[in-house]
Amino acid sequence: MNRVATVIYLLFRTAVRGLASSATTSSAAVVTIAITLVLVGAFTILVGNMRGMLDRFGGDLRITAYFEEGLDLAEARRIAGSVATVEGVHQVVMVTPDEALARFRETTGAEALLEGLASNPLPASLEIALLPEHRTERGVGRVEQALEGLPGIDGLAKGQEWIDGYARAANLVRFAALGLGAVLAVSALMIVSNTIRLAIYSREDELDILSLVGASRTFLRVPFLLEGTIQGLTGGLLAILVLWLGFVAFTEPIRVGLSFFLGNAAPRFLLCGEAAWLVLGGAILGMMGSAAALSGWRGTTG
Amino acid sequence: MTAPEPGIGGSLPEGLALEQRDDAPVRMYHVSKSYLAGTFALHDISLSFGRGEMVFLTGSSGAGKTTLLKSLFAAERPSEGQILVLGRNIARLEGSAIPFLRRRIGVVFQDFKLLASRTIEENVGMALDVLGTPRRENRQRTFQVLKQVGLQHRRLHHPLSLSGGEQQRVAIARALVNQPQVLLADEPTGNLDPELTLEIMDLIADAATRGTTVIVATHDVSLIERYGKRTIRLEGGRVVEDSPATGRAA
Repeated sequence: MNRVATVIYLLFRTAVRGLASSATTSSAAVVTIAITLVLVGAFTILVGNMRGMLDRFGGDLRITAYFEEGLDLAEARRIAGSVATVEGVHQVVMVTPDEALARFRETTGAEALLEGLASNPLPASLEIALLPEHRTERGVGRVEQALEGLPGIDGLAKGQEWIDGYARAANLVRFAALGLGAVLAVSALMIVSNTIRLAIYSREDELDILSLVGASRTFLRVPFLLEGTIQGLTGGLLAILVLWLGFVAFTEPIRVGLSFFLGNAAPRFLLCGEAAWLVLGGAILGMMGSAAALSGWRGTTG
Repeated sequence: MTAPEPGIGGSLPEGLALEQRDDAPVRMYHVSKSYLAGTFALHDISLSFGRGEMVFLTGSSGAGKTTLLKSLFAAERPSEGQILVLGRNIARLEGSAIPFLRRRIGVVFQDFKLLASRTIEENVGMALDVLGTPRRENRQRTFQVLKQVGLQHRRLHHPLSLSGGEQQRVAIARALVNQPQVLLADEPTGNLDPELTLEIMDLIADAATRGTTVIVATHDVSLIERYGKRTIRLEGGRVVEDSPATGRAA
């Protein structure tokens, strides 16, 4: 083992020994970090599922443009061509009056309503799908503005308001999660910091001796940073475990309880990247707590 | 005794100028240390300690012995004057350079400063750990130095299972394991009975015969007389007597 590897081994050994010697306070820090991350993770799962639902709504989002009555088919096709060139438009499908009638029959089954009519009252229309990046209130507004200026268009219909409301709710949940996460992160940070401060006090003799025999600042401080990081990592992994167990146990009640938000889609757990960020967040939290404790430590002898 | 040149200490550039004139590993030039304005723990001390020299520092409690020793391993900085240890000027030494200096200095205390939770081997090996000495080499060198102090068979024991004399031998082993050029001992036999005192002092004196500069703070007059080494008496932070070695051996 060369010197660098030896030093790394010794730093980790000191950190692990330190954790073992203050098992109770270290466990308290781990649990606090885990609670923080469980809450943040739970909100992440909720927001992730709401966003999934939004994406599905967004994929179905269509603007329907109705043609003026009596517009001939050739003119309607020309207008459809113009609409296809509007920025943000992904696809334009023309629905003739006959097709519209067939759909009406298919979806409503209300044959009786149509029996007394001499001719087909339904107008021809265009179903306009938007590019994903334009499926926002502003994107829809831009496309609408372009359509309203076109001759031959009688009116527009869209389902955007509901989606926007849902998006706002998802954002609200996300900001609530961030706010709550920040508050909890600060408390976790303080607990880790105090845990490490206690560890420093309890190991003052050891630090004093190490300093006397020539230990560098790095050699003295890094084990405490590692302790905080290990506490954070453990808290992060514990949080993932708790979230997973909770998810498995409560998937069905969650699905039923949140069916308004999720529709019929099955709830999903954290994505791998989200879980990794959560664990990494725990490690960073732990390391920052240690760094805060060490910043107030003036060192030992000399 | 090598007398330092008066007046030269205040303007030395990191000790280089004196290094050419004087090869003593430890030199002090007009050193004063004051914690409160008007009171001095050390006052205008100029001393030099040669290679392989063993020196006793004596004086009553509060005379400044411990402060002087502490200033030599940079646990205290002088308020005035210059201290050159192994070519480094303590007064100007940056904090990050202190560990590198301490790796070349062994320090022994009256209260041993051993970690009760660590084995004897681990306590001694700490001095090698900070250098990143590979485990195998660490164990070999630790074994050798424990053999030198007669404790190799106790290397896996813990300090509290050892007698006071044995614990001090462990502390000496830790101080010597890096083959320091300077060994500082602050009342190393203060907690020991007379028989163990001689045992410990012999180990410390041995280091001087191998070329280490040894400075021992003690108020044990019988010990000073027995070893007949150069003796510096401090009173009120001043050097009041600097007696050369008498040549008497223990």
